[in-house]
Amino acid sequence: MRIFIYAVLIILLIVTIVPIWLLIVNATRSTSEIQQGISILPSTHLLDNYDILLGRGLNMVRGFSNSLFVAVASTIITVYFSLLTAYGIVVYKFKGKQLFSNFIVVLVLIPMQLSIIGFYQYMSKLGLTDNYASLILPLIANAGAVFFGKQYLESIVIHDLIDAARIDGASELGIFHRVMMPIAAPGAATMAIFAFVASWNNFFNAFILISSLDKYTLPMLIRTLSGDVYRTEYGAIYLGLAITIVPIIIIYAIFSRYIVSGIAMGAVKE
Amino acid sequence: MSFSKVRKEYYGYLFIAPFIIGFLLFGLYPVYNTFALSFTNTTIMSSGAEFIGFKNFERLFADKFFWTAIKNTWLIWILNFIPQVGIALLLSVWFTSTRLRIKAVGVWRAIFFLPNLLVPAAVAALFFSLFGFYGPVNQFMVRAGFLEEAMHFLQNKTVARGLVVFIQWWMWFGQTIIILMAGMTSIPISLYEAAMVDGATATQMFRRITMPLLKPIMIYIFVTSLVGGMQMFDIPFLLTDGRGGPGNAILTNNIHMYLKFASSKGHIGAASTVGVVVFIMTCIAALGIFYFLREKDSSGYDKSIRKLLPGKKSER
Repeated sequence: MRIFIYAVLIILLIVTIVPIWLLIVNATRSTSEIQQGISILPSTHLLDNYDILLGRGLNMVRGFSNSLFVAVASTIITVYFSLLTAYGIVVYKFKGKQLFSNFIVVLVLIPMQLSIIGFYQYMSKLGLTDNYASLILPLIANAGAVFFGKQYLESIVIHDLIDAARIDGASELGIFHRVMMPIAAPGAATMAIFAFVASWNNFFNAFILISSLDKYTLPMLIRTLSGDVYRTEYGAIYLGLAITIVPIIIIYAIFSRYIVSGIAMGAVKE
Repeated sequence: MSFSKVRKEYYGYLFIAPFIIGFLLFGLYPVYNTFALSFTNTTIMSSGAEFIGFKNFERLFADKFFWTAIKNTWLIWILNFIPQVGIALLLSVWFTSTRLRIKAVGVWRAIFFLPNLLVPAAVAALFFSLFGFYGPVNQFMVRAGFLEEAMHFLQNKTVARGLVVFIQWWMWFGQTIIILMAGMTSIPISLYEAAMVDGATATQMFRRITMPLLKPIMIYIFVTSLVGGMQMFDIPFLLTDGRGGPGNAILTNNIHMYLKFASSKGHIGAASTVGVVVFIMTCIAALGIFYFLREKDSSGYDKSIRKLLPGKKSER
């Protein structure tokens, strides 16, 4: 039985890893090497592929910095406002608190992406299409992050500490900033990783809302990459894909523990 | 003291105010606007738009592409969801079993989860390259003798659809394992101990203890997967021609909506109608799942479990 189980696990492992591994290996191989056959070992043409990738008018460096900018801004907005909201729910007693909590859960489950057309037309009236603000500002109300923040804060909030700070004359917002934020740092970090990855991976919204080429994020450039310009430059295509994917793999390698426990926490009600 | 209580309540509203304002501006209003647009003939270019009642809906329901998209989206979602939950359940049981003691559970789980984080657009382009005419899959199949000559995989309707199903499964089964395991480890071990004393088999324990207590988690997985699946876009869009080809085999709801939006005239009104219909369909299906599974929940197994619960919570 154990042998059977390990066999299944190894098959699933291969299925999981092989596509990613081929991507990374092929990013280092020349187009002719790729055409000759499959290799599981990297080659030496990484820099050649990089030159080809940049030499066809596709600005990957720009795309990378655009993606980074949007992801960092989205992360900051998500973490700050979601913790603020979650703190409001967990620490204060007010009328409609339970209703609001339930409302957050409902929001998590509503297919908001289907209102993208109405969102687009509204943003275009405000002159915010082709502007990163249209991708970042909606995250002020990020229901999934608030739900996670609420779950997290409920397990760590120390009411005595808040009362002590009040006696010392701290303002309510000051307590949130100076007392709560440092205590909630691990949860905030987990939330930040998820917010970053979600923004980095976001294609649909950016694709609808952003139109000028110099504002394209990496997922948008992938469409150009797998189009005609690079049709036969396989090495460069794989490298372009690797550039979008590898940062996430590195983040995951460092923070996998936080990410895995964060997934579990978002789903399981204590 | 009473003064500070009033003050505290008032602060609660202040702390949630940014969320509420953000939601009204960027969440609720766009939903309202989408519904409003779906009753008009608005295009991107024109400034004036007329109210045309249910005409968009009538046209949509008469549009065979709409029904193809609905059918494809459901089919792709169901075909990926069943093996996703099946395999995830199996692995979660193995991983949490105290009898089997699988080694390095954390490592296995972490690796299986990795595809979930990868940029979906890049994943689609990657599989487009891997399954291309000159791609590694063809090289392997021909050299190993499975195929006589290279084949245009992505021009075959069944292969293209199967590939979308596979990619969706590949990206989500690891996440489902993590959630299921979190649910399973939160079930008190004492329940299983009591069952073992009574001579229950592993299958009986799974059916009578694990499954009923996992029901809330299963509902969560079910609904989130459904809501995500109905909005599937990146993978089918970037895997082939961006129009749901070959032969509309992977035309999904969101691709259909996008095509209306991106048509030469930019039919925002008609595109909104697709969004509205799919929105309503998804909400009804999600509510249906809640209702259907809740009903069962209150009868049968659950009561017998509840009898066992009190007093044994703290043991793990």
